Amino acid sequence: MKPAPFTYEAPTTLGEAVDVLGRYGDEAKVLAGGQSLVPVLALRLARFEALVDLNRVDELAYVREDDGAVVIGAMTRQATVEADPLVARSVPVLAEATRLIGHFQIRNRGTLGGSIAHGDPAAEYPAVVTALDATVTVAGPDGQRQIAAPDLYDGPMTSTLSDDEILAAVSFPVWDPGSGFAVREMARREGDFATAGTVVGVTVTDGRISRAAISLFGMGPVPLRARAAESELVGADASGLDLAEVGAAAVADVDPPSDVHASGRYRTRVASRLVARALESALQEASR
Amino acid sequence: MTAVQDGAAPQTHSGVGRFLGQSVKRREDARLVTGHGRYIEDVLWPDAWHVAFLRSPVARGRITTLDVSAAAALPGVRAVLTGADLNPLAKSFWQTAMGKDSPQPPRRLLATDDVRYAGEPIAMVLAENRYVAEDALELIDLDVDAQPAVVSDHRGRWGAARDEELVHPEYGSNVASTLPYPGMPTENPALEEVLSSAPHVFEERFHQHRYICVPMETRGLQARWSPDRDLLEIVSSTQNVHEVRSMAARLLGLSEVQVQARAEDVGGAFGLKCFVDKEELAVAAAAYSQQCAVAWIEDRNENLVAGGHSRTEDLTVTMATDADGTILGIKGHHVEDVGAYPTYGVGGNAGLAMMMLPGPYDVGQYFYSAEATFSNTCGMTPYRGPFLMETVAREQLIDIAAAELGIDPLEFRRRNMITTEQLPFTTPMGLVLETITPIQTLDQAAEIIGYEDFRREQAAAREQGRILGIGFASYIEGSPAFGAAGAEQVTVRMDMQGKALVFMGSGSHGQSVETTMAQVVAEELGIDIDDVRIIQGDTTSAPYGTGTAGSRTATTFGGAARIAGQKLREKILAVAAVALEASPDDLEVADGVVSVKGTPGAAVTVEQVAAMAYAGHTMLPPEMEPGLEAKHRIRNPPLMFSNACHAAIVEIDRDTGAVEIKRYVVSEDCGNMINPMVVEGQITGGVVQGIGGVFYEHFVYDGDGNPLTTTFLDYLLPTAADVPDIEIGHVVTPSNTPGGFKPMGEGGAICSPPALINAVRDALAPFGRLPNVQPLTPEVVLDVIDGTAAV
Repeated sequence: MKPAPFTYEAPTTLGEAVDVLGRYGDEAKVLAGGQSLVPVLALRLARFEALVDLNRVDELAYVREDDGAVVIGAMTRQATVEADPLVARSVPVLAEATRLIGHFQIRNRGTLGGSIAHGDPAAEYPAVVTALDATVTVAGPDGQRQIAAPDLYDGPMTSTLSDDEILAAVSFPVWDPGSGFAVREMARREGDFATAGTVVGVTVTDGRISRAAISLFGMGPVPLRARAAESELVGADASGLDLAEVGAAAVADVDPPSDVHASGRYRTRVASRLVARALESALQEASR
Repeated sequence: MTAVQDGAAPQTHSGVGRFLGQSVKRREDARLVTGHGRYIEDVLWPDAWHVAFLRSPVARGRITTLDVSAAAALPGVRAVLTGADLNPLAKSFWQTAMGKDSPQPPRRLLATDDVRYAGEPIAMVLAENRYVAEDALELIDLDVDAQPAVVSDHRGRWGAARDEELVHPEYGSNVASTLPYPGMPTENPALEEVLSSAPHVFEERFHQHRYICVPMETRGLQARWSPDRDLLEIVSSTQNVHEVRSMAARLLGLSEVQVQARAEDVGGAFGLKCFVDKEELAVAAAAYSQQCAVAWIEDRNENLVAGGHSRTEDLTVTMATDADGTILGIKGHHVEDVGAYPTYGVGGNAGLAMMMLPGPYDVGQYFYSAEATFSNTCGMTPYRGPFLMETVAREQLIDIAAAELGIDPLEFRRRNMITTEQLPFTTPMGLVLETITPIQTLDQAAEIIGYEDFRREQAAAREQGRILGIGFASYIEGSPAFGAAGAEQVTVRMDMQGKALVFMGSGSHGQSVETTMAQVVAEELGIDIDDVRIIQGDTTSAPYGTGTAGSRTATTFGGAARIAGQKLREKILAVAAVALEASPDDLEVADGVVSVKGTPGAAVTVEQVAAMAYAGHTMLPPEMEPGLEAKHRIRNPPLMFSNACHAAIVEIDRDTGAVEIKRYVVSEDCGNMINPMVVEGQITGGVVQGIGGVFYEHFVYDGDGNPLTTTFLDYLLPTAADVPDIEIGHVVTPSNTPGGFKPMGEGGAICSPPALINAVRDALAPFGRLPNVQPLTPEVVLDVIDGTAAV
């Protein structure tokens, strides 16, 4: 469990990092918190000519408010996100989801951008990005561009970033007053990747649901949106819902994987119930 | 097998003294919990060549290409050794405890011609560091023509081993061993009569999946052959340095005086390190053949895939009762998968399970049969309570039978347990139980957990749709001390300062031996515990011994330490009697001072006595040998026993099948406790391993024998967040061995699985029958709740 040889690059600015990455193309990998990448290297499941370490790029670590959104720099540690007052106030489900990531030691090193760029389909952050319709800013040789959440992932652990691009920031839109959110997951142990999970957001206006988002994680190759169930929710009376029915609708079209921890059938059943639980909690929060 | 003690008769006292019986804080902790433990990787020789093994990528196949030339040419590589290089060095390859002639699979250090499990070592690189060694592995040209593997699926259908494909053609059969042993009766006609006539007969096949030791410190060994010193020097992470020495010497045809083995701190073992396996021996052989220092630190991936596996068995139990639930007879049939190369003999644990299946019950007629089968998987190795399937199966069947008979499971147990009045009780296997207290521990566990109150709470909770359950399990822990393992020695040496060095052949790997044995010796010598130091883990200083394994530390080493301490105290008093011109019978020693009873002014310090014993030997009577040193080699019975009862309360999430352990209670009787805190620590650690085994840990192979749970991402260990507070009650009934101690190191792991499974079974009773499978994943549980058939 020792990595193959690689060149180590440690730029100090985003511009420098993009330049260095451009020199290697697809022969380099960006190192953020290292919580997923380093074990993969140690097992020699992947190898790269160079690692471009972003840990000295201070400009990528921040949380700020910007035009109705909370923008978070990619190298912001998960522990910082978890404790940030602006996040707690404006994107509370992001803080709630952060607490489900690994253990505190992992969150002290792991970064927001690293998790989102890595794109593990059973991870929490990609599911939050997907549910909240967040936007990702990436930097490349031709400058910066935005990727909207639905276009971010191609497959398991495969984002649509080019090899010469770096995920720089994530913008989480702040939902309107009257909104509520919840994240629920089933994990074999405290801190594990989810066997199945969901992030739910709703906005309730005059007793009716005016906006709804349900994302599912651990349920497919990428974080999924339960669009059909969402559209049935919009316009519905917030107090008269059959939660189990919504849960069933949310998983009607999924085909989750089977592995040593659970069958796809189990994942489907549990995700349906987690959606119901999350929706109940989100509706309560929305009505407070 | 009665407990008979020869030699110096132990002095009887209550078992509680100034140090003995006290929860003395562990002297190991200062270094271990502050990161100053010194493990093998902390003492690697700077000139050691680092090993990486090329391991088989498939479970079974023929090696068609093995070309190491490119790897050997990589800068920083000293050599790449194959079976052709190393295997001829192996003169003999057998574990001392099994004996030279016991059956075993054909042993080899490195695979040649064919491979027999995924992870089997094929070649070893010696390089300047592990990074370069792993780089070199990638340059080895290996082709294996894969063949159909003999592999069980994880629900345990390996009984019909595929005999057209032999794991070991040389062995002639995939059946590694069977019970009854040759010459024993092949059936018990009286039992068959009972089974055909009894009012009730219950039969269930219980399955236990593959789960493994997983010590925090993996295996590791460094060896140096110095021809000019005629010495093979070994440092190993081991439970048993003498076995390391014996194995290496036998392997290479050396005399044991040409080999020195020692251990540093050992970061856990749980049985994995009581024997010596091929990777460790390959390192010794490489050092010998290359005439240099060679080091191997097993990484976690290797440890999980190829470090030795455990459990993996089915036990079918048939039990007859009368109409009132009195057990009339029990029959067991045990099928074990021992993998390709079990580390000891042919690896099976059925011999001990056969002795222990009746447990703390008066079972009437009895019979046991077993079959161990080879497979193309990692070999079986001992894991804490290796024979525990007997308790896992019996305690589940008791709950199933009690439920079918409409008898409370505790009442069923009480009705059948061996009572104090029946002691000494001879079991159907001829074991003599002298001091067990199963009913007392059952009652204490029920009282602590509040059994009656819980039943009311459970009924109310069920009304609210909550799913609560309670489970109990009882057992007898049998500590095997066969052969040399029952005859450990402790040597106590007091030098001129009056402090004691205690030498023993133990191999502490988490048992607090440095603390508990110092308590025993300090108590006997009447000196401060800080003036006693335990020396172990070195073949050049320790008396010959079999290391730390089999729950024997308190009974064998503790018993020997006690008597050695008594002998030395007598010598101290004899020397002091000369100085004080008194009779030794009138003297006492306490707090490092020997004084005349009732005349505290007439006293000498132990330090003065020590000085006189050596430097003042001319003043001693001519028949008295100078010096202060005593030793005792104990002779313990081959099996010693303790008993306990475990109880668990669980709550199950109706939507996910997740199980929360709300309470966990243990009541145990290990006789006199040297250190109650250490006893409780041992129990707690064992229970956590049971929690892991029942709910989380599972080493999985696919149908072709490819390992699937190769990192901690998929092999799930319980963490502190998954474990409840464990409440422990004690019943103290001294044994008849010196000190009144009993074996207890493995019981936490033995009894917790059935207690937990029984709690889940009880919780799910309103929904349906829990299938006899392990592990109890949330999916297994949810399938019962939802009434969906298990996959």
